[in-house]
This record gives sequence, structure tokens and C-alpha cells, in this order.
Amino acid sequence: MIPRGVRYALSGISWPVYVLLYTPLALVAYYSFSPAPNSTGHSLHAYNILLHDGAVGAALQRSLILAFGSAITSTVLGTLLGYGLCRFRNANAKGFLAHMPSLIIYTPIIMPSLVFGISELIFFNFVHNATGFLSAGLGTMVIAHITFQVPYVALTVFARLSGLDPYLFEASYDLYANGVKSFFYLIVPVVQPAIIGGFLLGITLSIDDFTISFFTSGPGSVTLPIYIYGAIARKGISPEINALGTLMIGTIIALALVHFFITRHRERAGQLAARGKIA
Amino acid sequence: MSTVRSEVALEAGRQRLRLWITAGPGLVWIMLFLLIPSAILLAIAFFSADDYGNPVLPLSLAPFQQVAGYSLLGWDSGNIAIFLRSLAQAGTATLVSAALSYPLVFFIMSRPESLRPLLLLFIILPSWTNQVVRTYAWLELLGPNAPVSWLAHALHLVPPHLGLAPGSFAVTTGLAYNYLPYMIVPLYASAEKLDWTLVEAGRDLYASGAKLFWHAVFPQTLPGLLSGVIFVAIPAFGDYVVPQLLGGDRALMIGSLIANQFTETPDWPYGAALTIIMLVFTGLGLVAFRILTRKLGGAEEATI
Repeated sequence: MIPRGVRYALSGISWPVYVLLYTPLALVAYYSFSPAPNSTGHSLHAYNILLHDGAVGAALQRSLILAFGSAITSTVLGTLLGYGLCRFRNANAKGFLAHMPSLIIYTPIIMPSLVFGISELIFFNFVHNATGFLSAGLGTMVIAHITFQVPYVALTVFARLSGLDPYLFEASYDLYANGVKSFFYLIVPVVQPAIIGGFLLGITLSIDDFTISFFTSGPGSVTLPIYIYGAIARKGISPEINALGTLMIGTIIALALVHFFITRHRERAGQLAARGKIA
Repeated sequence: MSTVRSEVALEAGRQRLRLWITAGPGLVWIMLFLLIPSAILLAIAFFSADDYGNPVLPLSLAPFQQVAGYSLLGWDSGNIAIFLRSLAQAGTATLVSAALSYPLVFFIMSRPESLRPLLLLFIILPSWTNQVVRTYAWLELLGPNAPVSWLAHALHLVPPHLGLAPGSFAVTTGLAYNYLPYMIVPLYASAEKLDWTLVEAGRDLYASGAKLFWHAVFPQTLPGLLSGVIFVAIPAFGDYVVPQLLGGDRALMIGSLIANQFTETPDWPYGAALTIIMLVFTGLGLVAFRILTRKLGGAEEATI
């Protein structure tokens, strides 16, 4: 369908772009193995310093609490939200009120993350001054991260549910399942891939984010990205920062590839089983 | 009859209750922690600033005059330059990512079907690493001591002691790098649905390659391209991390200008007014694109 000459041209443009996409990341890794002071050759010196740096360890711990805490909460809220909108929304309703849920769900996705972050900064500041609660820190960061993850989880679950046969629900009611039972024994197993996908998406979004974290963080809640940003602003790029960057890049790439091949393997097995090749 | 009607009303009430129990918590969460905060931010633009930059009464439109460039020292074109630079940077980054996306998407399409997801994954993967890490990585490539900058020195593009980063070039590159996947994914989705019989028909009529692309391929991928433009241009316009890390002082963009009003030199009403102007620009862009998409007959995507 694509002539051979065009295919060669496409390859000629695309492979260099692939290389370019990974060159900066590879350079981070390359410079992380720079020699220790007063010596030559590549070394693991920077990694050694990193390992014994308490601030980095604390930042890593906070990043993990932030990612998992926000992703778990947003998976619960988002799953319920996607389920409710798919099942219980009156399809015939018209007017502003009927569009409200969609408007609310799309706001966090469309809003530039800078505006998002600053809005939260001001809001938490006001609430703290008025009530004493919600001082800037890990807690406010978790709240903000939940807010931007919920719509993505809801959309993922909604997409999966709207592809289902509506008679499945009828069938479960005919078998005397009540709403709660039908949710746990029918919906959760069927939507499980979407729920897991939404959870992983939440983790990815949380790890990717800097801007919103930066504006909702307090003095005692430095996470890895904020630590790196601060270190670069203060004294430029050091081998230790490169080592930290390398570890973060490596972890994400490894996890993404593992997830990719596991899901693909499962899909293939599922397809084969559906064809009756695996009994 | 009346019992049937009351039964129907009761069922509708139950349905509404179920909707509230399931969808309520998530919706209330977003309202409480995003819609109300952003409403407060927008309202602050209409207050005066005290000596510490905090909003105080009386209400005033002074912040907007400040946005336009008026201050005690008279009029200054600085803000307008920053707005135009942000528009130009977002526009260039969008063009670059669109120009790269077409060959990449059709390269992936030309490969065996089993390889395509992996090839797509390798384009998206860098965007899953943290914003700060993948952005500062470009400093290594474009900084003063890197080979690319030596090349630029040899060609007399930059003075010897400076690198390509920090500067405008680095910002454009960083933006295009960060947002390339947002262009690729919708474009790939519409290329997958491409009706190749139209291309075959054109080929049978001896159309040249360029004509085939322009009349048979391009119109079919237009919906994907237009969504990609929105997904790239809007976040690139208001980006904060890229100009902050790769821009330096001379490539200041609207995002950094807004952020400064809430961090280094606090002036909340001025910052809020800048935010409103930025959102107005973004909104106008969205509306213009919606009209354009409708006119060009782009398909509306399925929405919640």
C-alpha cells in the first residue's frame, strides 16, 4: 500500500528520530559514570554518593508515598465515577445540568498544569490561614495528584463499560443480584483490566508531574523531581544528579517494557484460547 | 395507573440516588479541589495588591493594566514581547512535531502489524519519565560543552562561550520533544482508520505521490492532526518546566512570568490577571479549532 521508495524515505527519516529521542536520556546515563575526583576512567562514584545521601532516600520515599497514595485513592474514586456515569445517568436528560459531569471531568485534563498548580497553591493557602488545616506538604500534594488522576481513571473505566452488552446487567438482576452484589461480582471482574490500567496510568501521571507538585509542596515535602530541580537551580548538573536521573529513567523504561510484554502475552494467550487452541 | 406512575417516579429517584452515590464523590472532589480553587484564582485578578503582593480590597482593574504593560514607570513592551514569544514557541513546536509525526506514523504503518505497538511504545516511552529529568537531559546535549554546540560554534551560530542551551532554540526543541507523543497518538489513530482504496483509486488515475498524499491521505488524517495540534499547542503555550530549565533569562515565556508572580516577586492579582489572559488565548484557540474541524468535516470523537 506504500510504495517501496516512500518506505525507504520513511525509514530514513524515522530511525534518526528514534535515535534522537533517546540521545539526551543516554547522555544522562553516560555522564552518570563520570570519574571520581582525582582519578580517571568511568566509575560508579556518583552512585556511591547517592546511596549514602539521606536527602535522596527521603525524597524517594516521599515520591513513592505520593504516587501510590494518590493512585490508589483516584482509582477508587475514578472507578465509581466512570461506573456511575455509564450506568445511572439518564441518557435522555438535556440542558446544562446534564452536561455538568462531563464539564467537571474534562476540566482537569484541559487546564494547563501551571494554572492547576497555582490555583491549588492559593486555595490551600487560604484554607490554611482560615482553619489551620491543609498546610503545604505531602498531604496537599496527594490531594492535588488525586484531582488530576480521577478523570483519567474514570474515562478508562467508562470506555470499557460502554463497550459491554447492557443485557449483562439485566441478567445479573434476573439472577437476584442486588446493586452492590452486581458491582462486586459482575462489574469489578469485567472491568478489572481497565481498573488496573487506570491505576498504572495514575502512577505514571504522578511520577511524570513536576509543575503541580512544585506549587503544592511545602518545605518538608521535597520529592525526587523537586530535589533534582532544586539541585540544578542551585549548582547546575552534577554526576550525582545524572545518576539519580539514570535510575529514574531506567526504572520507568524497564517497568513499561515488562508491562507491555506481559499484557501482550496475555492478550495472545486469550486469543488462542478463544480460538480453542488451548483447552 | 397512579401506582404505575409513582413506581416510575420512585425508580427514577432510585436511579438518581445511585448516580449520586457512585459518581458523587469523584465529581465533588474535582469541584472542591479544582473548580473552586481556579474560581478563586480568577477572582483575585480583580483585587488590588498590598505591599506583600496579597489581594486586598478595593476591587480594581489595575492588574489588567499591568498585563498590558502599564506601570508607574510608563508603558513597556516587555509583556507583549513575552506573549508573542510564547505564541511563536508554541506554534513552532507544534509545526515541528506535526512535521515529524507524519513520517513516523506512516513508517510505523509500513511495518508488520505485530511490530507496530512496540514501535509506538518507543515513541511514547520518553514522555513517561519525569518532566524535569527529560527536560534537563537536553542541557547535556545542547549545553556549552557538548559536541552539538561545538558544531554551532564552528558554523558561527552562537558565540564561543555559549551553548545552544539555554536559549530559544533549546526551548523549541524541548517543547517539541516533550509533546511529540501527544501529536503522534491521535495522528496514528486516524491513520489506522485510513481508507486505502481511495489511495489505490488515485494511483489508478496516475496521480503523483505528492498529489496522492495531499488529496487522498491528508484529508483523511486531518481529524487526528487537528486533535494533535490542540494537545500540543495548548500545553506548550503555558509550559513552565521547559522555558525555566532551557530558556534562561532571554527566552522568558508566559508560564514563567505567571509563576514569578506567585513565587519570587509575589503579586497575586497581577499573576491572576496574566492567567486570565493566557486562558482567554487558549480558549480562543480551542474555539477557532472547533469551528475549523467542523468546517473541514472532521469526525467528532466519542465523549463521556
